Amino acid sequence: MVELLGAGILNVLQAKYLLSLVIGTLAGVVGGALPGVTITMTIILILPFTFGLDPLQGLAAMTGVYVGGSAGGLITACLIGIPGTPSTIATTFDGFPMAQKGQPGRAVWLGVWASFWGGLLGGVFLIAATGPLAAFALQFGPWEFFSLFVFALAMVAGLTGTSLVKGLISGAIGLMATIIGADPIMGVPRLTLGSEFLQGGFQFLPILIGIFAFAQIMTDIEKMSGGGPARDVARQAPSLSVSHLKIIAEVLGRPFLLLWSTFIGILIGVLPAIGGSAANIMAYDQAKKFSRHPERFGTGTPEGIIASESSNNANVGGSLVTIMAFGIPGDAVTAVMLGAMIIHGIQPGPLFISQEPRLAYGIFAAYLLAHPIMVLLIGAGARLFMRIVTVPKPVLIPVVLVFCVVGAYALNNTIENVYVLLLFGVVGYAMVKFAFPLAPLILGVVLGDQIEVNLVRAIMTDANPWLFLTRPISGTLIALSVVSVVLAIWQHYRAQARMAEAAEPDVDF
Amino acid sequence: MRKIVSLGVLFALVLVAAASLPAAYPDRPVKLIVPWAAGGDTDNIFRPFAPGLQKALGATVVIANVGGASGTVGAREAKNSPPDGYTLYAVHDYIHSTYYTGVSDVKYSDFEPVCLLSSTPSVLTASPKTKWTSWQELLADAKARPGQISVGATLGSTSHFFPALIEKAAGIKFKYVSYEGLAPRMNAILGGHIDLTDSNLTQKGKVDAGQLRFLAIATEKRSPEIPSVPTLKELGLNVVFSVERGLMVPKGTAGDVIAKLDAACAQASKEPAFAESMKKQGTEVRYLDRKAYAEYQKKLDDLNRELAKDLGLLKR
Repeated sequence: MVELLGAGILNVLQAKYLLSLVIGTLAGVVGGALPGVTITMTIILILPFTFGLDPLQGLAAMTGVYVGGSAGGLITACLIGIPGTPSTIATTFDGFPMAQKGQPGRAVWLGVWASFWGGLLGGVFLIAATGPLAAFALQFGPWEFFSLFVFALAMVAGLTGTSLVKGLISGAIGLMATIIGADPIMGVPRLTLGSEFLQGGFQFLPILIGIFAFAQIMTDIEKMSGGGPARDVARQAPSLSVSHLKIIAEVLGRPFLLLWSTFIGILIGVLPAIGGSAANIMAYDQAKKFSRHPERFGTGTPEGIIASESSNNANVGGSLVTIMAFGIPGDAVTAVMLGAMIIHGIQPGPLFISQEPRLAYGIFAAYLLAHPIMVLLIGAGARLFMRIVTVPKPVLIPVVLVFCVVGAYALNNTIENVYVLLLFGVVGYAMVKFAFPLAPLILGVVLGDQIEVNLVRAIMTDANPWLFLTRPISGTLIALSVVSVVLAIWQHYRAQARMAEAAEPDVDF
Repeated sequence: MRKIVSLGVLFALVLVAAASLPAAYPDRPVKLIVPWAAGGDTDNIFRPFAPGLQKALGATVVIANVGGASGTVGAREAKNSPPDGYTLYAVHDYIHSTYYTGVSDVKYSDFEPVCLLSSTPSVLTASPKTKWTSWQELLADAKARPGQISVGATLGSTSHFFPALIEKAAGIKFKYVSYEGLAPRMNAILGGHIDLTDSNLTQKGKVDAGQLRFLAIATEKRSPEIPSVPTLKELGLNVVFSVERGLMVPKGTAGDVIAKLDAACAQASKEPAFAESMKKQGTEVRYLDRKAYAEYQKKLDDLNRELAKDLGLLKR
């Protein structure tokens, strides 16, 4: 394994891979730093450019975007108090107060180094756990996969929104979108209205782009007024120079906090469908609970920044484990990566590591190398990124929209995918307006066919329906689904009793 | 500034005008529809073929994996694509079998043949979680437990026909479970979720590693790659079965475009890198030009109709 990893690192250090990794990381940092542009959006924008590359080049670029994006958001979070991506929401709680107190450099670099160490720890887990988990994944028959997907849907419906019912409806809309088209077993056309295009069903990526890019940008346009607050703060051009050794010591001097936040990040990453936006808030919450001085949280305490930033980068490692071992996307970003892998002719899943060791260890290596690259890029260009943040939205948004359309078209070179993008852009916008969470919808679309196929397979293999409950892994997963729904109901009641606070509508699950 | 803008507009107009002139085929990327998941055996054959085709054709070839419904989704998409030579369709014998078993409404005659490319013999493969080490043990078990042994197959396709032929020849009964394409079948058989499947020499590595067992090969003579595996004929079953893969284009494609594609196919099938990759996969490179392939397709179609009828799967 060590030799394979060494070979992977040497491989990725070749100019053609390193270049795409650096460009990807840079794009990720910039995309992450731009408020309103999520990591998912950035990776969607990068995707069409990777079609012509060799698989590892493309995947290195995407891994770079993922790592860079998870860190890039903290620059804006600390300096202007607006999370660059939803996975840096908790970073604003302490990062911005610290910057206001005259320590902007300390705030940013605490975040960067926490991202670095959290990410590397996540990487250790990624490399050590993917193989054993892949072996475990082979034990998953149709029953287990069915129950796993049900669990994922139950969890995301319960966790991401303010209302369980809305979460479930959103998931159901996603599942229903996959009913359209030829059925996956015998090819019987369903709800196609005689249209040839609908016989193929909706493809996943145009839906994703519609929901996550279009719908979010539309709401951004609504919120837009003048130049926005970013300009004024950026003009102050704060000095970011700090003593890095001191900051690293500050991060590593809190080993328990770092490890626990990293653990939360990894765990949330491994669970399908909940991503960085949940990880950073949960880690922050935990850090506050365990702290001897919880009252300092929110006033600019380093613990808050470290918890949030180490967890969201560790989350990336966890998500990559799920996609590489099970072939199931851990969140929207890995869902795009899954699409990219398939375009390059790679089917991730339990056999991925043993059949494609060069590629698998190439991804590991790209993940590890992306972290120092991210630190160097931010070190070299933090001031510059602040300028980019001030790009007026009237300039930025049209460019992003055009790239979305190009991405949808380039997928299959068919214009119909652009119509699908528009349709789901409108659907997504309506859902945002009515405060429906978007994450369950996307998960429903990703898993719809798989749920159906595995249900049919299970019944074809053995007609006994109790097997879903009596097979140990499957039964446990079903029990966990019930628990997560009950827990969600309980939490909603408790929250209602406490008077619900205003919820954050941005979700980058 | 204004001058630059107007120059730019002019340039763009010239480009548009140039693009609308009838140019020699091919002047833009060509899409190759593989109607199965990436990493399956059809994908594994056409992916190494694509670079050679690209070189011979002088245009980018983009593989689009359009899986689902026993390859029917991809077949329909190919059939409904404009017949301009910019959509190619990677086909194998399933086009005949899924039509006659009623899974698909797309027929081989909805397309124009371009060339036959390869021939891959089928190998009966067992999960390591089963106790059979030979065909005889499987046969005894199958007779003791009729309808209990599960076979992963793409329903109505070649991976369904092959075990069905064995069923008929040996007088046994299997139970079929839908696993589309070889890649998901391999996950299922390695985990022991199905007992048997149709596979091919691409899986030799897993057999050597003890993860799978080859029980018998459906060739006339034993394969030099796996000399220890008996042929079904030796075992007293008159079953010889292979999957033939080729290229087709939607009906109505101009003759000169097909001729160009066929010439490119002939050239690409001779690429040493392609030959090397096919050898590793236990596949014979078998080029036939468009005329010979058309005749062969007709023969295959009749054969599949007969097979479907014999197996009691004929729905048309």
